Amino acid sequence: MKDGSDGTATDAIEIVGLDKVYGQGAGAFRALTGIDLTIRSGEFFTLLGPSGCGKTTLLRVIAGFENPTEGSVRISGEEVAHLGPNKRQVNTVFQNYALFPHMTVAQNIGFGLRMLGRSRTEVAATTAEMLRLVRMEELAQRRPAELSGGQQQRVALARALAPHPRVLLLDEPLSALDLKLRKEMQGELKRLQAETGITFVFVTHDQEEALTMSDRIAVMSAGRILQRGTPHEIYHAPTERFVADFIGDTNFLTVPVVSVEAGAAQVELPGGRTAPARLPEGARPAPGAKVTVVIRPEQARLVPPGEGEMQGEVTSSVFFGTDTHVHARLTDGQDFVLRRQNAGELADPSPGDRIGLALGDGVLRVLKD
Amino acid sequence: MRRRGGTLWNWLLSAPALLVLVLAASGPLVIVLVYSFLSPGNMGGVAWEPSTDAWFRLFFKRDIFDPEVVTWNEAHLVVFWRSVSLSLQTTAICAILGFPTAWFIATRAPHRRALWLFLITIPFWTNLLVRTFAIQELIRNTGTINSLLLRLGVIGEPIQMMYTDFAVLVGMAYVFLPLMVLPLYAAMDKLDMRLVEAGYDLYGGRLQVLRHVIFPLVKPGFVAGSILVFIPAIGAYVTPRVLGGGRTMMLGNLIELQFGQGRNWPLGSAMAMLLLIVVVAALVLYLRWANAEPEQRNG
Repeated sequence: MKDGSDGTATDAIEIVGLDKVYGQGAGAFRALTGIDLTIRSGEFFTLLGPSGCGKTTLLRVIAGFENPTEGSVRISGEEVAHLGPNKRQVNTVFQNYALFPHMTVAQNIGFGLRMLGRSRTEVAATTAEMLRLVRMEELAQRRPAELSGGQQQRVALARALAPHPRVLLLDEPLSALDLKLRKEMQGELKRLQAETGITFVFVTHDQEEALTMSDRIAVMSAGRILQRGTPHEIYHAPTERFVADFIGDTNFLTVPVVSVEAGAAQVELPGGRTAPARLPEGARPAPGAKVTVVIRPEQARLVPPGEGEMQGEVTSSVFFGTDTHVHARLTDGQDFVLRRQNAGELADPSPGDRIGLALGDGVLRVLKD
Repeated sequence: MRRRGGTLWNWLLSAPALLVLVLAASGPLVIVLVYSFLSPGNMGGVAWEPSTDAWFRLFFKRDIFDPEVVTWNEAHLVVFWRSVSLSLQTTAICAILGFPTAWFIATRAPHRRALWLFLITIPFWTNLLVRTFAIQELIRNTGTINSLLLRLGVIGEPIQMMYTDFAVLVGMAYVFLPLMVLPLYAAMDKLDMRLVEAGYDLYGGRLQVLRHVIFPLVKPGFVAGSILVFIPAIGAYVTPRVLGGGRTMMLGNLIELQFGQGRNWPLGSAMAMLLLIVVVAALVLYLRWANAEPEQRNG
């Protein structure tokens, strides 16, 4: 490898030092900054972030629709940064499917193979196989305009999978579908990935979709990757405020550090009790410094006043059926939301009630500054 | 209040337009059709004696000395053929030049497109005759191109371009090009560029994407542009008159000749009807071809 990185041929995608800048001079816009990313072969990898965070631009750079301003992109070990989309063994499922309106479903699916100059029999056989894979056999001779959104989605998937790419790129493919169809297609995508063994790179702004489907997630904001990891790591151990805030509901508490050990700190909770909080990699705050710790609403339990690590006064409670969100003001004035599972027919606390909050073991995380 | 869909009211509303259409289009057409089956008058005009002679003389001629000997009227056939051939060539040239032009405009930033479209329409501001004489100035033996090439020593003597099919072709392609560019642009403007990206993504090279994705999708623009170019081209009068002279006449000039010097109105009328028949037949055939399923044709 040219720049001596330790990428191996088993990595589906390896991106090093990628920048993408549109325009020049004062009007220039940095869409991507310093992206380093390794996606393993066979992985379901998700790029997650709000709109405008650069996730689609990154996908377009991998597909070859955009040239990187700086940095290298390798697919299966081969440098492709300046190869056109037709020279990369990567296919895209476009956000609005981009099916060819003048071709039938079967012709759409066979397009890639025809362009590759495969024989008529191979094209026909693979098309039939793909139609079976996405359960669209009966509609092979229809035009895209005659299909429902979900059916178009299946055709777009089949078309992109037919040439058997090394990597399948999916640009918010489910965003145009209604909720029920969306759930169905999420399962369908997982099934297709398992059956084909192709590496999927999935772009979405929907955190729930990302958590339920991915092997690993990269959370992006303002053209940078803030954190990458498994859904569990991203949810339970966010290292940045943005990540913690973007994924799930979170309580942020500003607390002073009492002492620091290897990988963890003792922090002083509102009310004076101390508790251990895990530190992000490389962080070593000085005792006495203020840090932000995060804790998810479902990781605290409602206990009688006087018990638990923290005390508070209920400001409101909202009944959601499966759970109740209890909003409380802690003794030092910070706000806290607690989610109580409604395992039985429990009475919701009323505003003004004094409550105790018990924290699970090791649930506190310190954020990077 | 009267119902808006009232039949009588609808007829009343469309009456002025219908009247103009009947009087201005159908009326003259009927007159021309009737004239084509009459005999020529002595000083032009028609004599009210029914005759099919005009239609006969479109294609055939009788020997001056022996009226029983019938031969093809080659002079007419040559002009007919030239009209069809030059019009087809003009359409082809306009399509070949118009496609990249329209593509260029359609791929500019949206606020720039209006300017480029505006530039395309500039030739329409000037009278056709003036523009045609301007081309004559360029290509005549002592014109700009020949003088330049002579001075540069590229050629020893002027190239004869005036009064050739080439001159007529250049003139017509120039005049009709915008009529091809505008409908092509309209079709490309609606083209979803993600389809082009999808074509590249699925391993299509430039030419493959052009042929399998872009062409089929902008075909309505080609169809509209071809009709807009071919129909006026086959009836062109000014351009072949100025640039082709008497030697490279087209159907329009031949028709004019019959009503003028020829003083054979029935023959001129028959020719005009023939032109109409050719245009309608060409349209029907072309639209039938254009509406056929392209992907089914090549499997």
